[in-house]
Order: sequence, then C-alpha cells, then structure tokens
Amino acid sequence: MEQRTPSLRSVAWLWFGIAVAILIIGFRQAIFLTPTDAAQGDVGRIFYYHVPIAMLSLLFPYLNFAASLLYLYWRMRDPLKALAADAFALASAEVTVVYATITLLSGMIWGRVAWGIWWTWDARLTSMLLLWLLYVSYLMLRNFSPTGQSHTLAAVLSIFAAVDVPIVYMSIRWWRTQHPAPVFGGGPNAGMDKSMLPAFFWNLAGWAVWGIFILLFRFALERRRQINEQEAALHAIEASLEIPQ
Amino acid sequence: MTWHSLFDFSTMANRHLIAAYAVVLGIQAGYLGWVARNWMRAKGSRD
Repeated sequence: MEQRTPSLRSVAWLWFGIAVAILIIGFRQAIFLTPTDAAQGDVGRIFYYHVPIAMLSLLFPYLNFAASLLYLYWRMRDPLKALAADAFALASAEVTVVYATITLLSGMIWGRVAWGIWWTWDARLTSMLLLWLLYVSYLMLRNFSPTGQSHTLAAVLSIFAAVDVPIVYMSIRWWRTQHPAPVFGGGPNAGMDKSMLPAFFWNLAGWAVWGIFILLFRFALERRRQINEQEAALHAIEASLEIPQ
Repeated sequence: MTWHSLFDFSTMANRHLIAAYAVVLGIQAGYLGWVARNWMRAKGSRD
C-alpha cells in the first residue's frame, strides 16, 4: 500500500499531461489549421469544442446511472462497496453538470451569432436544459437533504434522470426544430468535410481523456473524505470507551 | 486563422468565438482547481 500511492500519483500526473497535450493539439487544429467554415465563418470553430463536449455530457450520466444501481444493490449487502459506488456516482454527476453547463453556454454563445438569439425552446435545447436541471437537483438533494436516506433517494433520482439522456440524443432526430441536424448518423446529407475531422476528433479525444481524469480525481477526493469520516467516527467511539465510568 | 486575427475583437463573431473558448477552458480549469483545493484540504491519513 505504501508503494501503491506514489505509482498511482505518477499515473495520474501522466494522464493529466496526456490530456493537456491532446487538448493543445486539438486547440491548434480547431483555431489555426482547420479552414474557416464557408457558411458560418470563424464562429463555426465553436463547433470543435461544443459538439465533443455535448457528446461526452451524454455519456457521463450513464456512469452515474450504473454506479447508482450498484449502490442500491450493495447498500444492504456490502456497505463498503456501496460507499465506493456512491462516491463514483457523485463524481460522475458533478462531471455531467460541468460538461452539460459548458454545452448549454457554448451553444448559447454560438446561437447568438448564428440565430440572432441566445435561447429558444427548441426540443434539443429544452431536453438538454432538463438534463442539466436533473443532475443539479441530484447534487442539491445530496448536499441539502436533512434525512439519512439522501444518498438512496439521490440514487433513485439518478435512475429517472438517465431516462432523459436518450431523449436528448434523439430530440434532433424526432423533432426537426431550430437546432442543427445531427452531424453523425443523421442521414445521407449528414457528416462533415474531411478537413474538419482532425480538429473534431482531437478535441473529442482530449475532452474524453480530461473528463476521465477529473472524474477519477473527484472520485479519489470523495473516497478520501469517506475514509477520513470513518476514521474520525472510529476515534470518537474509541475515545468514548476510554472514559472512566 | 492567426493569433492576431483570433484576438481581433472588432466583429461579434470573433468576440463570441473567444467567449465560447474562454467559457469552456474557464469552467474546466475552475472545476479542476476546486477539486485540487479540496484534495489538499482533505489530507489523507496515509500522507
């Protein structure tokens, strides 16, 4: 155990370095190397951050969903495993909120130039806002609920929240409203020019590697807090037993 | 695009491009900073 911590730390620093390196390549591709979009101009470069992050914001909720299911399964059978699953559920919910917040804000900034408006109650935008609200309410329930069952209630909420993810994904296929049509898997006219692919895929890889890094870092923080709380409780019990009767 | 044209704030499109990238990098860096700060505060028992 004494040797494991330094090696884990080295892996974490290496992972962080790889994430930053890929993101620098992605930034260079998106801003300097990819030709300007003929229809949108330079504001179209927002796409290289907005779309990869939006795609990832629909993957992290499934990690939260799986961890919540494991928490509910283990909470009576194996409380220590349940604690680890709960820590992972919390970390993935926070990363979901971070990615969904960026998706909404970068989309609004793009929309103001492309559409002339910051917001519209389009099917994709509304379902994405709903996803953000669901995971914010998940975090608020965990933080502010006074009952001892808040983690269980949050796990149940996360199962319902995960239902919104396929709705967000399918919204631009089911309802053709203001949001642009899907770039991938959107029919014969979908897709992007070959010159745009490197910028897109470098940024997708970069934000995925970065997302995994912050997810595991947040998970490690929560585990550290849980272990500290357990040790504090144990010390309190030991101290109470030492009081002379 | 060059560094010079990137930071040309004369057009709305350029201002919004910078704003979008700043929002993305700012939120990600801010969240990482918040986690790192709490990590330092919640000192592990094995440290």
